Amino acid sequence: MSQLIAGYLPLFDLYLLHLGLAFSQYIVLRAGVFSLASAALAGIGAYTAGIFAVKLGAHPLLGLTAGTLTGMLAALFLSIPLARLRGVYQAIATVAFIQIVVSLNIYSEGLTGGAMGLNGIPKSVGTGSLLIAAAAVTYLVWAIERNRLGRAFNAIRQDEAVAASLGISITWHQSLAFAISGALAGLFGGLQAYHSYALDPNQFGFHLLITILSYVILGGRNSVLGPLIGTAILIILPELARPLAANRMVIYGAMLIVVINYLPKGIADTVIQQVRDRRLRLSGGAS
Amino acid sequence: MFTVENIQVSYSGIRALRGVSIEVADGETVALIGPNGAGKSSLLNTVSGLVRPTAGSVRFQGRDLTGSAPWTVTQAGILQVPEGRHVFSEMSVLENLLIGETAMHGRTPTHGLDDIFALFPILAERREQLAGSLSGGQQQMLAIARGLMGAPRLLLLDEPSLGLAPVIIAQVFSALAELKKQGLTILLVEQNAHLALSASDRTYVIEQGVLVKSGRSADLQNDPDITASYLGQG
Repeated sequence: MSQLIAGYLPLFDLYLLHLGLAFSQYIVLRAGVFSLASAALAGIGAYTAGIFAVKLGAHPLLGLTAGTLTGMLAALFLSIPLARLRGVYQAIATVAFIQIVVSLNIYSEGLTGGAMGLNGIPKSVGTGSLLIAAAAVTYLVWAIERNRLGRAFNAIRQDEAVAASLGISITWHQSLAFAISGALAGLFGGLQAYHSYALDPNQFGFHLLITILSYVILGGRNSVLGPLIGTAILIILPELARPLAANRMVIYGAMLIVVINYLPKGIADTVIQQVRDRRLRLSGGAS
Repeated sequence: MFTVENIQVSYSGIRALRGVSIEVADGETVALIGPNGAGKSSLLNTVSGLVRPTAGSVRFQGRDLTGSAPWTVTQAGILQVPEGRHVFSEMSVLENLLIGETAMHGRTPTHGLDDIFALFPILAERREQLAGSLSGGQQQMLAIARGLMGAPRLLLLDEPSLGLAPVIIAQVFSALAELKKQGLTILLVEQNAHLALSASDRTYVIEQGVLVKSGRSADLQNDPDITASYLGQG
């Protein structure tokens, strides 16, 4: 029995790591920013943490703090030009940002190890630490959702002009969402560095972007359950379909097409809405 | 006292307002009427900080708000109920109301949920429903109520009768009459001149970006120019 559980632990670790990244993506979408930068921000956090450990021999907690802060600062820096863009243009700009980070990473060989990657990072993060981090982040996002800040994010996403007319500062809230997103990506990038011995620059490229975005789109963009469910499905599914492992991306693509067409709000949000509608019908509140 | 002086607004070279001045005293309801494209909404959007004027000034209770950001304008207590309602359709009625509190910026609330529900009983009934599922009239009531939650010192209303059935318009305007009785200062933009004149103390008429007439609403109701152009008589 314990062996069976142990066999699935790496998968569970991967779930927790990617859950943090999914929340990083979720929080910017929630605030109405179509940024896809989480993959690059995670890379920045991961490499910062890795370099702290390998080159400076720093304590893991210090490295993780550094990774979180650099992720946050990079996100804030990115938010300045992005504030002037909207919608799909933000998405394009952030995809470019990801390519820039990957390229810089490959060229600064002395610091990052270049295309060979950064190797020999001491492993200091296990399932326990990941679980604590993931639980803390889930709680944070849940708390944001329940208070005034979450309502402000919703208002901005749905109608920016009206949000402004209600006294909600768009720039301030979107920068804040960016900062949170960057900090989350940086932290979970750092955790990944300390969990997997080595980093490869292409690990934080376009492929990761698509993966993270899929979690949020599949699960749902409007409740904390969305990333939790979306990440779980997309991590477990390829394992169930292991004989088809070579076609993993094909399965991802097919699932996304089905979900976008039939459950455009994502799995969690669709279920939540149905429960809510039913409750209203039963209470006789709806006409 | 709220004053707009000689305000000018251009959209990429096209002049929407060519020097309009208006005044609203505390506790007064003032209407702004005029045909499509006269610049009525441009004026409101300039006051709210959504559009920057090329010249002129906006002052409210001794504060200069010319070209201020929307956030600063709401801080001064000027709240706009936008044209076409714009409720947050994916949020419940209650959430829409609660988000209105953001505009309060530490002022003492003037309208609590109880007052709102007394003014618009239908919103109390529908409080858990998604705002997008309300009828047009109910959404308009919600938009006004959301504005009231922000404790406005001056409420800007952009075309509250737009697209509503006459019986609903009557409900909305009787609520406005109630708010006026409570002493709220209101600047009302309306295409329906008859409604605007009967709901307000004074009225300004603008056409093609200039002020063509102003005066007490009761007087304008009998003004031959107004009755001919706007009230469909004569």
